[in-house]
Amino acid sequence: MMAMLLAFSSTVVAGETLVAQGKILGRSYHQQLYTQHKCAACHGVDKPSSRAPDNSCLKCHSVDKLAQQTARQGDELWQNPHNNLHYGKDVPCTECHGEHVVKQPLCKDCHTFKFSNFKE
Amino acid sequence: MNKIDFLTRRNFIKGLGATGVVFAAPSMATAIAADGIHWDEQVEMAIIGSGFAGLAAGIEAIKHGCKAVTIYEKMAVYGGNSAINGGLFAAPNTPLQQQKGINDSVDIMVADQLKSGRGVADEKLLRHIASHARDALQMTIDAGAEYYPYLQQLGGHSVPRTYQTKVSCGAGITQPLLHECRKVGVTLQNRSKFEGFILTKEGAVAGIRIRYPYYFEDENSGNIVNIRASKGVLVATGGFAQNVNLRMAQDPTLTAEVGCTNAKGATGEAMLEMFRLGAVPVHLAYIQSGPWASPDEGGFGYVSNYAIFNFPHSIAVNCLTGKRFMNEIADRKTRADAELACRDAAGKPLPPIMITSYAHAKEHPTCEKVLKYGVGWKFDSLQAIAKRFNIPLQPLQQQVDEYNAYVKAGDDKQFGKSMAKAKDMYIAAPYTVVRLWPKVHYCQGGVQVNANAEVLDSNTGKAIKGLYAAGEVCGGIHGVSRLGSCSIPECMVMGMTAARSMMGA
Repeated sequence: MMAMLLAFSSTVVAGETLVAQGKILGRSYHQQLYTQHKCAACHGVDKPSSRAPDNSCLKCHSVDKLAQQTARQGDELWQNPHNNLHYGKDVPCTECHGEHVVKQPLCKDCHTFKFSNFKE
Repeated sequence: MNKIDFLTRRNFIKGLGATGVVFAAPSMATAIAADGIHWDEQVEMAIIGSGFAGLAAGIEAIKHGCKAVTIYEKMAVYGGNSAINGGLFAAPNTPLQQQKGINDSVDIMVADQLKSGRGVADEKLLRHIASHARDALQMTIDAGAEYYPYLQQLGGHSVPRTYQTKVSCGAGITQPLLHECRKVGVTLQNRSKFEGFILTKEGAVAGIRIRYPYYFEDENSGNIVNIRASKGVLVATGGFAQNVNLRMAQDPTLTAEVGCTNAKGATGEAMLEMFRLGAVPVHLAYIQSGPWASPDEGGFGYVSNYAIFNFPHSIAVNCLTGKRFMNEIADRKTRADAELACRDAAGKPLPPIMITSYAHAKEHPTCEKVLKYGVGWKFDSLQAIAKRFNIPLQPLQQQVDEYNAYVKAGDDKQFGKSMAKAKDMYIAAPYTVVRLWPKVHYCQGGVQVNANAEVLDSNTGKAIKGLYAAGEVCGGIHGVSRLGSCSIPECMVMGMTAARSMMGA
């Protein structure tokens, strides 16, 4: 099972991203962090008791690049989740993506938008 | 009774907690004394809330020489409810009115608001806001907000005086203001929940306690930080429409089953804390529902702005009778009450529909969104509408013909709707249709403030030193029912006013 999970790390597919990493949920492409017990990479400490700070994800992921990847055109220009009408690029990652829990995009609170590539 | 006595009394009340009313609002905040306290941070001005009022206050504070102002935002994102509102801004004597030759004035705007306020609005504050609304509009434009080149005439307004952002949303204002704040040096801090005031011996507000980093609805997250605010604290936290228990305490009909247009953080705990401090509660039971909301989407969604734009040249029809049931541009309360009365034979809610000529509806960009996201529909005939919504066809046909005669005559004999904005705009195929059902939208009630944005003490009638409030958290300004597009000018003007008061400008 774990070997299969590792296979996803290069080409991640929506819905297959959030998988059980031993006892807790985590993202398949973070497999190494789980294997090597590197909780501190995000939480700052090895045995975390609180959430990782909002800027943790940004150590590796760039909002600008993500915004480019999810860019939309025409009347959907402002429905880019990483650069959206209401909050620009300011939404902390974990408002929509949970590392250890399943989350829904923030937009869903009011809108019926479809994000078919959304990674739970 | 001075503030310190009040603290003692409050702690006594707290001891009775188990027998008191239990609100969903989490851990009870309490004011503490500043004596010997360890200050973790020090600012000149502490602003709680990052909506229109807080952002405008931040910019205005810097303009008047403030050296250290921080905006504390409870949620993960900035902008509060303002970032998801309709982006509609009413002001008299604006450049667009001059360009279109519309005769308007502070007096006319205030008169419209007093009428909708049903005799209990605060004329002095309304006049103060209307007098400075154009300056506030200019602040948004200077920061980069963009508006459509036309004015809308919203329900209850006697003339077109409402600007709308090009993105049809308040974010078209909060985003530019937020960028401006960062540019001029206002500090912004999210995940910062207000937990209570810190008072001097004399009972003045010396600072605040903030829980940081706070994760919404996890009341144990973060740590308490004591912040000294040498020039004052501005509470700009918005309304409490999302606090179901509190709104039901005022109006038992506003149950959890009634929708709400507001951001989730609009739960009112800072307002409650000001009451504990001695602020005067005003008009808490006047809670407004938006008559342009749709039961087919969450929150404010797309239909709200679509309906606001189209109501002047549309008809709202009761599905049971096929007939109109209201003046489509009456004030919000009149329309919300009329919609709530639309029910089936068993008394269950039967959302009425709004019928618009597609030719007119497509003039506003929200039309495309409404159709695209399946919250409104296009029909080629009245037969198709009647079939889809189970409406008796003959009365519906008759109603449309009758209404079109009113358009021709320029006189609505049925409900007295102002037909000026409906000139030559007949209801004709193809049609677009949305369903309507009110959602809790705005709290007219809150703390009493004066025209300096100072919060008044219920014991002395005087200002509570160091404490200011602006925006929806304030009460009594609009009376029973606020007119649409009058909240943004209020938030902006009173936020700016508070900043000037604190800076002695």
